[in-house]
Amino acid sequence: MNRRAPKPISQGLVYLGISMLTVIVLYPVMVILKKAFEPGRNFATSVSPVPTEFSLEHFENLLSSANSSGDLLFLRYAWNSTLVALATTIVGLCLACTAAYALSRFRFAGRRFGIATFLAVQMFPGTLLLMPLYVILHKLGLLNSLLGLVLVYATTAIPFCVWTLKGYFDSLPKELEEAARLDGASSFKIFYMIMLPLAKPGLAVTGLFSFMTAWNEFILASTFLTDDSAYTLPVLLKSSVGQYSADWGLFAAGAILTSLPVMALFYFLQRYLVGGLTAGSVKG
Amino acid sequence: MRRNWWHAYALAGLVSVIVATAAFVSYRNAAFERRELGRATHAATSVSKGLRPMDNVVAAYLVSPAVPSEHYEFLRERSVTEADGSHRRLGGKNAGPFDKRIYDAANQYDKSGPFVQLVTDTDYVIAAQPASGGVAVAITTPPKGPEAFPWLVVLGLLVMGSLVCAAGTLVGGSARPLGLALGASGLAVPTFLWSGLVIALFLVACSMLIAWADWRGSLERAGRELRKGGIAYAFLTPTAMAMLVLVGIPFVVGLGLGFYNNNHGEWTFVGLDNFIQILSGDGRSLSDPLNFWFTLGVTVAWTAVNVVLHVSIGVALALVLRQRWLKGRHGFRMLLILPWAIPNYITALIWKGMFQFEYGAINSVLSTVGLDKVNWFSEWSTSFASNVATNTWLGFPFMMVVALGALENIPSDMYEAAEVDGASPWQRFHHITIPHLMPAMLPALALGAIWTFNMFNVIYLVSDGRPGGGTDILVTEAYRWAFERGERYGLAAAYATIIFLILILWTIIGSRLAKKDAE
Amino acid sequence: MPRVLTLLFVFLLGCRADADPDSVLLWHAYSGAEQDALRESVARIEREQGIKVRLVSVPYEAFADKLTAAIPNGNGPDLFVFAHDRIGHWTANHLIEPLEYYVDDSIANRYAFEAISAMSYEGSLYGLPLAVKSVALFYRTDILKEPPSETNQLFAMNELYTHAWDGYPLVYENTNLYPHALWLHGFGGSLFDKDGQRTSLATPEAVAALTFARKLDRDKVVPGGVDARMVATLFNEGKAAMAISGPWFQNDINDDVPWAVATLPMVSDTGLAAKPFLGVEGILMSSRAKNKDRAFAVLDALTSDDDAVFRAIAAKQIVPNQAAYETSEISKNPALMAFRKQLDSTVPMSASPLMRSVWTPYQNALLKVIDQGDDVADALRSAESEMKSYAEGQQ
Repeated sequence: MNRRAPKPISQGLVYLGISMLTVIVLYPVMVILKKAFEPGRNFATSVSPVPTEFSLEHFENLLSSANSSGDLLFLRYAWNSTLVALATTIVGLCLACTAAYALSRFRFAGRRFGIATFLAVQMFPGTLLLMPLYVILHKLGLLNSLLGLVLVYATTAIPFCVWTLKGYFDSLPKELEEAARLDGASSFKIFYMIMLPLAKPGLAVTGLFSFMTAWNEFILASTFLTDDSAYTLPVLLKSSVGQYSADWGLFAAGAILTSLPVMALFYFLQRYLVGGLTAGSVKG
Repeated sequence: MRRNWWHAYALAGLVSVIVATAAFVSYRNAAFERRELGRATHAATSVSKGLRPMDNVVAAYLVSPAVPSEHYEFLRERSVTEADGSHRRLGGKNAGPFDKRIYDAANQYDKSGPFVQLVTDTDYVIAAQPASGGVAVAITTPPKGPEAFPWLVVLGLLVMGSLVCAAGTLVGGSARPLGLALGASGLAVPTFLWSGLVIALFLVACSMLIAWADWRGSLERAGRELRKGGIAYAFLTPTAMAMLVLVGIPFVVGLGLGFYNNNHGEWTFVGLDNFIQILSGDGRSLSDPLNFWFTLGVTVAWTAVNVVLHVSIGVALALVLRQRWLKGRHGFRMLLILPWAIPNYITALIWKGMFQFEYGAINSVLSTVGLDKVNWFSEWSTSFASNVATNTWLGFPFMMVVALGALENIPSDMYEAAEVDGASPWQRFHHITIPHLMPAMLPALALGAIWTFNMFNVIYLVSDGRPGGGTDILVTEAYRWAFERGERYGLAAAYATIIFLILILWTIIGSRLAKKDAE
Repeated sequence: MPRVLTLLFVFLLGCRADADPDSVLLWHAYSGAEQDALRESVARIEREQGIKVRLVSVPYEAFADKLTAAIPNGNGPDLFVFAHDRIGHWTANHLIEPLEYYVDDSIANRYAFEAISAMSYEGSLYGLPLAVKSVALFYRTDILKEPPSETNQLFAMNELYTHAWDGYPLVYENTNLYPHALWLHGFGGSLFDKDGQRTSLATPEAVAALTFARKLDRDKVVPGGVDARMVATLFNEGKAAMAISGPWFQNDINDDVPWAVATLPMVSDTGLAAKPFLGVEGILMSSRAKNKDRAFAVLDALTSDDDAVFRAIAAKQIVPNQAAYETSEISKNPALMAFRKQLDSTVPMSASPLMRSVWTPYQNALLKVIDQGDDVADALRSAESEMKSYAEGQQ
């Protein structure tokens, strides 16, 4: 805002304020970190975020838990989650960017309707589609398969992705495409070679969003997957919190390991995040 | 000219084949069932008369009535009479492979009288008939499967039809559509044999319709349109297909379910009853949590409070974090995005623990400072506040990131110029910052509002609707109707439809207002 | 890039679960020691009978919903482990298989009568019992000399302490109907009226029980706002002398805490024993099980006397097999014997479909009375009206 820095006292106050706020905001995270490294199944009642004892037993238990055939469960679930999230991202991105490009650049019958539909679909509470979705997946023979889950996640993420990407495409200048068309390039080539590379920030945002949707989702995964070798990580986490007793240490360790990939992605894609979310909206 | 008739005929032929196949399948299945059910009933009647049943009978016995055990009223035994007159208990060590089915059939006979039915997951047919001294049960298998599809007949008719069509085209004039219609209607003959006059006439009508469209040139026009806008459709189709199957169809099903009532798997049509029950508040007072309007009020308040907090905190933090002189601002930004990155069901559970009365972190801090501990979930206001706190924690990073992006796009020379002109910091904020922020924040605000309106996890996991369902919002309420209160799926579906309509209405009103503003 | 896509696609397709057609599929919601014990039992069945059993662990909250969704579509398990109180609901939905064909007197005689009766509904048997659950009184032997035998003592606990101590005498989930029921029954009340068909919640006995529960909270006998994990935490940290919980609690107690189990005290105001709910956890068979004879063989083996003794020791379950209590391993285990004794004063939970609609309204009433101080009779009456609107679709 201001090119000249304010007085040192004001600076100091701001530093203090923002640091305290950060600590307060991060307190729940510290609680989980503490529980993951403290032995015992239950939360301790002390408020301090520093663990009194340090032990890696929860991580050991988590990583070594195996089912009756001896397969390592956690790695299996992590693999499943990764597969599903990656596939959701790819499928979601492919479907969303083609649709967004069409809605942004072409004029055709039903365009308005398409835009309105994508907006409207975001408003429907997804949890309530559970039962009809179950029956449909069953008819398609995709129950209890990761592919079915990917399809459902992708279609859940698509509306937001289309909306964001369309805004992004809208903000890109049309001159490049017109020039390429004069040179005789086909629409698909223009899309693939020119528009997509320009849309990297938008793609980063929507990719991240799709990945997060798939990685963090619990309810649909636990309803559609019946074979425990196909479970994803959130299902594992929820199952360590049983009806009467819960292994919070295991839960905390699992929560940390589950959150790490998403956080890593976040920081990796940070610089695109800011640009991608706003570019379209600045133009309106 | 010649190409076109081929196209039109292909289209008409396709439609005819589909209709004919559907007719055949329904006929074939019905005929098969009739035959097999009759056979099984006949076998059972033979047994009841003491005669030996015919072939294709897998097992047939005279089953004794159920003899209850002395000590346990829920245990019962049955026995069957073998061919040599001896009695054998059904089940136990020497059970035959069909004993269980026969036992179950006898039970079903006791409950609802004589019956005959196909056994699910197999191709057996079971029949039970009354007999002196018990029940006669027979299990049969069909000697051969249902009729095969008559490929040759259909193919032959199609070829003949194409010849007729070609002939008509050659002759020209009005013979062309006539030939097309006649040729494609060839399949109406077997359809009439399979499913009767109505379906056959329907097939003929379809062919006539296509012929007429071809004659009028509509088909040609449609083809041209398609090719013109084709690229766009090509881009859209995969997405549209996926959305149709996985979003459209469940949505329509969900919509339809709202008109039914579910009672243990039996669906009865109740028309608008579910909607009336919801919209009238179920006859309860306005402050009763089970009243729809109460929940609606809570949801609106929930959305409004959250969005205001998210935006103000997000924008305020963005304003601070973009100061160039703030060292380590990248680090702060990284840390402050964390709440968004961690899966929200995990943090919701942690926050719930923090609000616990005796030993939760919040109360511990309060008591350290000397204040009383608060029972967070026993009063509506505090329970609502705890939900808001959790959701704000989860939601402000998104607004912060959007605001940061928008602020970065403001050229700094605007500020310099304003400063030179003597504008105060507040004026600079008001006239430069805010107008640049708005276009970015408005869509984010709309999105955030929708997400908050439908935020299930936080309400469900943190306050769980306490006290007494008071902090439930519309989505959690609908979920409870579906899964926690006697599986009233119909009512829950009606609820979901109403939620959706509310949001649509809100969007329409919102965009109308925005348009008015712009004018 | 296209190659990566195809590879991914193929992977995903292959990640479809290949159901082994010859194995018996069993769903359960166990974790920890109970899960390990189940795996052991299943391995033994495979060794001795050659039947392969596939275990799938399903999270508890989603368990019933998944069953109702999966079984009618042919996707469900062949057997599953669950409590008995939903049997009525499942029979109404045709999800479970009656077992009188397989079970004769010799099998039924293995179990305590209440346990096997709980697995029956409207004249048919639907499962065999694995373990019974009721709550009992856990207490720390380093704080209490002996447990109280009647409720009046709860308000004057100082005589029973081994040393001067100022924590809470008792901790339990006081806003959950499941433990509260023991006071309800102790005051002579019950959830269902005489013929067991309809619920009557606002009876004078229920009012007395709820008033007593509130008194426990107001007089600081029990702490408020406690959920299941807080019960364990407070007991372990020595901030509560007694806890009311079930057999699963044994696994939650830290190793360095000295404890014992006793039967629940008598209610001084009525002279009746405080009787908790009896929940019977059993194995039920899906009505769409593929090979029912083989599934029953597994069912039978898992509920046999040998297996019961093993589970009682390894997973600390309270087993219903009568022969188990005559073995030396179990008769010498005071905790198991105490739970066995408590079994004699329990009230089986009704399996009627109405039961499902009772929990939430009653819990709302408990919260209103204890947390917010509402009038007891009013709270119970509004709970009744709430229940009616839940059950409306159930005629």
